[in-house]
Amino acid sequence: MELIKRLGLNKNEVGNTSHITVNTDICKKCIDKPCIKVCPAGTYEDDKENGIIVHYERCLECGAALYACPFGALDFKYPEKGVSYIYG
Amino acid sequence: MDYDVDVAIMGGGLAGISAAITAANKGLSVIVLERGERSGSKNVSGGRMYIHSLEKLLGNRFRDAPLELPIKKETFEIYTEEKKISFSFENKETENSYSILRSKFDTWFASEAENMGVPVSYSTLVSGIDREDGGLVLRSDRGDIRTPLLIESDGAAAFASRYLGLVKEKQFSMQPVEKLENNPDFMPRQFMVGVKEIIDKKTENTYGEARTILGLSGDIKGGGFSYTNKETTSIGLTLKLDSLEKHKEKAFELIEDFREKLGIEGKLLEYSAHLIPFYRFDSLPPRYADNLMVTGDAAGFLINDGFTIRGMDNAIESGRLAGEAAKKIFDSGDYRDTFIYEQMLEDSFILKDMKAASRISTLFGNERTFDAYPKMMAGIMERMFSVTDNPRENIKDVMRDEVKKNGIGYYTLIEDMLKVI
Ligand SMILES: Cc1cc2nc3c(=O)[nH]c(=O)nc-3n(C[C@H](O)[C@H](O)[C@H](O)COP(=O)(O)OP(=O)(O)OC[C@H]3O[C@@H](n4cnc5c(N)ncnc54)[C@H](O)[C@@H]3O)c2cc1C
Ligand code: SF4
Repeated sequence: MELIKRLGLNKNEVGNTSHITVNTDICKKCIDKPCIKVCPAGTYEDDKENGIIVHYERCLECGAALYACPFGALDFKYPEKGVSYIYG
Repeated sequence: MDYDVDVAIMGGGLAGISAAITAANKGLSVIVLERGERSGSKNVSGGRMYIHSLEKLLGNRFRDAPLELPIKKETFEIYTEEKKISFSFENKETENSYSILRSKFDTWFASEAENMGVPVSYSTLVSGIDREDGGLVLRSDRGDIRTPLLIESDGAAAFASRYLGLVKEKQFSMQPVEKLENNPDFMPRQFMVGVKEIIDKKTENTYGEARTILGLSGDIKGGGFSYTNKETTSIGLTLKLDSLEKHKEKAFELIEDFREKLGIEGKLLEYSAHLIPFYRFDSLPPRYADNLMVTGDAAGFLINDGFTIRGMDNAIESGRLAGEAAKKIFDSGDYRDTFIYEQMLEDSFILKDMKAASRISTLFGNERTFDAYPKMMAGIMERMFSVTDNPRENIKDVMRDEVKKNGIGYYTLIEDMLKVI
């Protein structure tokens, strides 16, 4: 199943503002973009202009992002609402 | 400072609710702050719960818990290329572990605390903590809570420890990730991310089955699991963060592949992900500080030795101990001195088992476990089970040959074997 459909199975109350921010000055210079690789929800997307785009509405709040960026460019907080699992 | 409670608990998961039940039983006034709309709504486990801690906490009442199935069959599977080795173990007598689903379980567990009169404040995200006049002020979207004592039960991401400056990761200058992987300060080494699927597939058995699977996570270091529940099947992968950072394979692609290779068919009902602590024993985060006791995943109490993954029983027991320690600290009147909790942890199975497992997890943390050993074992099996018109080989020669072929030194092999024993 493709990612977006997969994420669509979950109840997710998305807020109006992003709970994740990146420092694009750093991201533009980033070589491997490890945040893209660790995220199980495809929240981070490579972007020529900004270095990285954050699709915060996809976030499963797993917390991997806290440790994903070794270069101090990523600021992750929990959203106020967000995901509610039925099984878990 | 005037305090709102005797002890505040951040996080209403397994560790937090266990602490709340224990502290309330001892007569303390308690509040639990939980960011989910109910307990369990944010929580993910494989999951199999080893039941001893719950039983110790609740006595016979643990039988009311919404457990799934008692695990009576274990299968261990190693895949390498086109080959697969597996062995199974069945024990119809045992009921020492159960498959569980956290959303349902935690909701029930929190209601147990609520029935004892413990307030659990849901949809309450703690977003900062300040030290003031010898106590703590927790900032949340529902207002401030003043407490002399905090039990941190907020899971692997351990935000309370971060707010208090006890956990902080090093920031590196821009460089390829490859150069960082051996740096002890590179935090992704200390974590795994778990991805999980719930499949609409019901077992035919009245008991539960656990499968532990190695070799189906592509190039990523990690393992797989599957547990049967009453109505559904849980499958998932636990993947090392540092390994993911180095490779192109994504967790959501790997799990798709994993399900196909296991041949489990059925509708996908839920996809979830969660961080898993994977600290080395000698680099665990702080477990106590002034006015603070850290429990469960937040303290890194997770054992993953390649055979079993155990965090839930550790979370419940550490919560219970923190609840007991809270009463002792309350009686002493010195809220800063939380060392008693550390002493209780040292006497408990948690630190003892973690220490014992740390020798194996160094094995689980190395490349050989995921690459050379499975190939070696498959090679040995293949040659022992095939009969051709060539003269039959002697098992000792086969083993020697496969060890050599896979580039494993004898000294390393013996060293690794001793770790397991
Ligand atoms: C895929 C996977 C498979 C696993 N399999 C197993 C298994 O088979 N057996 C086993 O024993 N263990 C397993 N584990 C580990 C187990 O899930 C954890 O060890 C266990 O959940 C830890 O419990 P806890 O109470 O410490 O933390 P959690 O269960 O994570 O609870 C933390 C609670 O704190 C709340 N919270 C967090 N931050 C805040 C905040 N800022 N404000 C308010 N509330 C907050 C959360 O919403 C949550 O309710 C697995 C883990 C994963 C991810
Ligand atoms: S957030 Fe960090 S890892 Fe991701 S692109 Fe930016 S600098 Fe690189």
